[in-house]
Amino acid sequence: MRRRQFLTGLAGAGFAGIARPRELGASSSCICAMLPLQNALGAEAFLGVGSKIKITNMKVFGVSLTPDSDRPYVFVKLETDSGVVGWGEATLEGKAGAVMACVDDFREFIIGSDPMQVEHHWQSMYVHTFYRAGPVIGSAIAGIDQALWDIRGKVLGLPVYKLLGGPMDSKGVRGYYHARASNKEELAHLRATASSLGVTCFKSGIPGYYEWIETNASIRRAVGAMQMLREGLGPDIDIGVDFHAKTSPSVASILIKEVEPLNLLFVEEPCPPENVKAMARIARRSTTPIATGERLVASFSCRELIELGVADILQTDINHVGGITALWKVAAMAEASGISMAPHACEGPIGSLATVHVDAATPNFLVQEICSGVQPEMKEKVWEEWLGFPAMRMVNGRFPLPQKPGLGFDLTEDALKKYPFGGTRPMARVFHQDGSVAAW
Amino acid sequence: MIMPDRTALRRARLASTAFAFSLQKDQVVTDSGMKVSVLRLYPLREPVSGRRYTLLKIVTESGLVGMGECGEVSAADFAKATRIVAEKPATAYEVIRQHLLPWPGLQAAVNMALLDILGKKAQAPIYQVLGGPTRFKARSSAALEGETDAALATSMKRAHVAGHRAFLVPVPRVGAPNQGQAFIQATRRRLDRLREAGGDGVDFVLDGAGLLSAGDASSLAHELERFHLLWFDEPCRLSTLSPARKIASESVTALGFGRHLHDPGAFQDLLREEVVDVLRPSLALNGISQIRKMAALAEAYYVAVAPHHNGGPVATAAALHLAASLPNFFLQEIPLPVSEADRRMRSELVGASLETVADGFAALPTGSGLGITLNEDALERYRERPA
Repeated sequence: MRRRQFLTGLAGAGFAGIARPRELGASSSCICAMLPLQNALGAEAFLGVGSKIKITNMKVFGVSLTPDSDRPYVFVKLETDSGVVGWGEATLEGKAGAVMACVDDFREFIIGSDPMQVEHHWQSMYVHTFYRAGPVIGSAIAGIDQALWDIRGKVLGLPVYKLLGGPMDSKGVRGYYHARASNKEELAHLRATASSLGVTCFKSGIPGYYEWIETNASIRRAVGAMQMLREGLGPDIDIGVDFHAKTSPSVASILIKEVEPLNLLFVEEPCPPENVKAMARIARRSTTPIATGERLVASFSCRELIELGVADILQTDINHVGGITALWKVAAMAEASGISMAPHACEGPIGSLATVHVDAATPNFLVQEICSGVQPEMKEKVWEEWLGFPAMRMVNGRFPLPQKPGLGFDLTEDALKKYPFGGTRPMARVFHQDGSVAAW
Repeated sequence: MIMPDRTALRRARLASTAFAFSLQKDQVVTDSGMKVSVLRLYPLREPVSGRRYTLLKIVTESGLVGMGECGEVSAADFAKATRIVAEKPATAYEVIRQHLLPWPGLQAAVNMALLDILGKKAQAPIYQVLGGPTRFKARSSAALEGETDAALATSMKRAHVAGHRAFLVPVPRVGAPNQGQAFIQATRRRLDRLREAGGDGVDFVLDGAGLLSAGDASSLAHELERFHLLWFDEPCRLSTLSPARKIASESVTALGFGRHLHDPGAFQDLLREEVVDVLRPSLALNGISQIRKMAALAEAYYVAVAPHHNGGPVATAAALHLAASLPNFFLQEIPLPVSEADRRMRSELVGASLETVADGFAALPTGSGLGITLNEDALERYRERPA
């Protein structure tokens, strides 16, 4: 409780007052042989080749759309001595407090440095953290990275997708909504709405929770739900189905075999992601494309998925993989193997918009998620109130490209004040019939 | 089943500066004036060394000029590439790269020129546009010239005076496949003599130039394990990966491959098959953006990038910007002509010498774009005309 109050209090103040020891190694009591020599190559070494702009302040905001939200947004704002500011997003579902603290841990890395050197700072945050990959560190880096790109674009006078060599298509990037429908009639209605709006793709999930091995009834229920999707949406709309890593490789393989005739665009996370060979076993026996990656951090984590032929579509999330820098690298790796990109986006508007910039410069881009239905939801009304435009709403089936420099929006701290940080809350906990732990 | 209310359980997914910038609210960026209007090619040949390269000039409607470089280009290919690039927005370098993939050299040159233009538009060096600098100077190397050990020692002395501390050393002349111990020992002697002459502060890349059999290359790699080459470059041909696999599996000598490759999948095969320690994409066949993508791939394998370059000064500038944008850059070859006339030509073309090296490192360019100023007079003067 005290910790929650601590973070809540700091959110408004932007962590401005915390003093940190400057000499990290010198005062250490560690006498291990691995103690690094402190060398003098800091920001000063880059004076001749840097931009002369300096980051002067970093603020971290926890933003809860509802007081009891289990996934508050975490936003990062960087300020510079030139007056340009940058915004990024570090939202990590269920771990807001940890990410906010981790962002603040990077204060020493960022304040006083040149915002243009985003790759250098990314490397320093990742490598000098010693533990490298991990969702908390990855999300914290992501928030700072996006804010640095926002600043870079504004300073250079170009939208981020132009810095990356895009747009592949000036009409925007193809997107999908989630299919919010629970029966055939609702799906038929969704199909008609999609057709009038130009929306060409939807995603849905499979019902319930799955044990390591499943009963005939459970399998038939899941298959039935997917068949209903295809029948309701018709043959022309692309459909992705998210297994959400609820299924074991054994159960997923059976389900995917059953739905081969439905010609799904992809099945997503057919089993948990940390064991690549387990997912490879599913992929080997599937003709339906496999999509995965939303929980991965940094491009390093994608090697086996690519090499073992597991992923047809990578879905790394800009807010966890490590920002624009890392998402771009994953896309470059995927491109060399003929793998498509369909980045995950289920957090706030900043990360989603940043993702659209990367998509727009990715030749192997397939489709962009937004966790919303064809009808705007409460969160999107708030986003419009913050940013002044309907962020992440499609026009003719595409997310339009921002036209302004940087990430292409203006956001004020005042706008966020209506939605103060409500603290970190645990995500859902679900259990099987016998009380054992189930995955959702 | 104990299953709490579904909707509550689902994730929300289912529920004072160096820059002359002015930040205006609602500033909208357009492509106005940024369309490519002119492309011109300048085939060049150095008077003494005979080294050939082709410079490409792209001009936008608004008059921004970008320079690129590649090897020899046929008129037919240039005509095709021109049709593809003309009228497209110059900032869309990734889009244009995709269209030019069938013509690797032109793809590379166009990419450099478009990034030059983008940097000039943004009033920043290319490495800053691309997220750098990741370093403030770039480790360099020079290729030694000469047939004999004595000639190579002289060449090294000259390169050392010029500031280089790492040297690309050719293997002795290769007579036939599987030359045996005489060849291995001759190579060893060559390197020992150079190290003795250069002292502890110098390092070597052994250049196999793709000439050796798998057996010879592997024996050599094994013999040199404790010599500590920086790496053994292009120890065999890459027509198949089997010889590379043999060499890589039989010794710990670091291997470099890739100077002739331009297909991203071919670089990926090298990494996937774990035969490469230093990825060597050529500037003239890949350009800046494609090498950045290959470097991103290599980074995930913890593998370094040292772009191959034996062309002209524009590609040197491109290489230095590239180096300053990569996290896993290791070293950049910089051509070092023997003749004063050749060196003069290189610096006249781009207004100044970017190829100056001090204590093993090249300085980064600091101007906008590639940071070079094209000398049109020199370009016309040195332009190779049909005989």
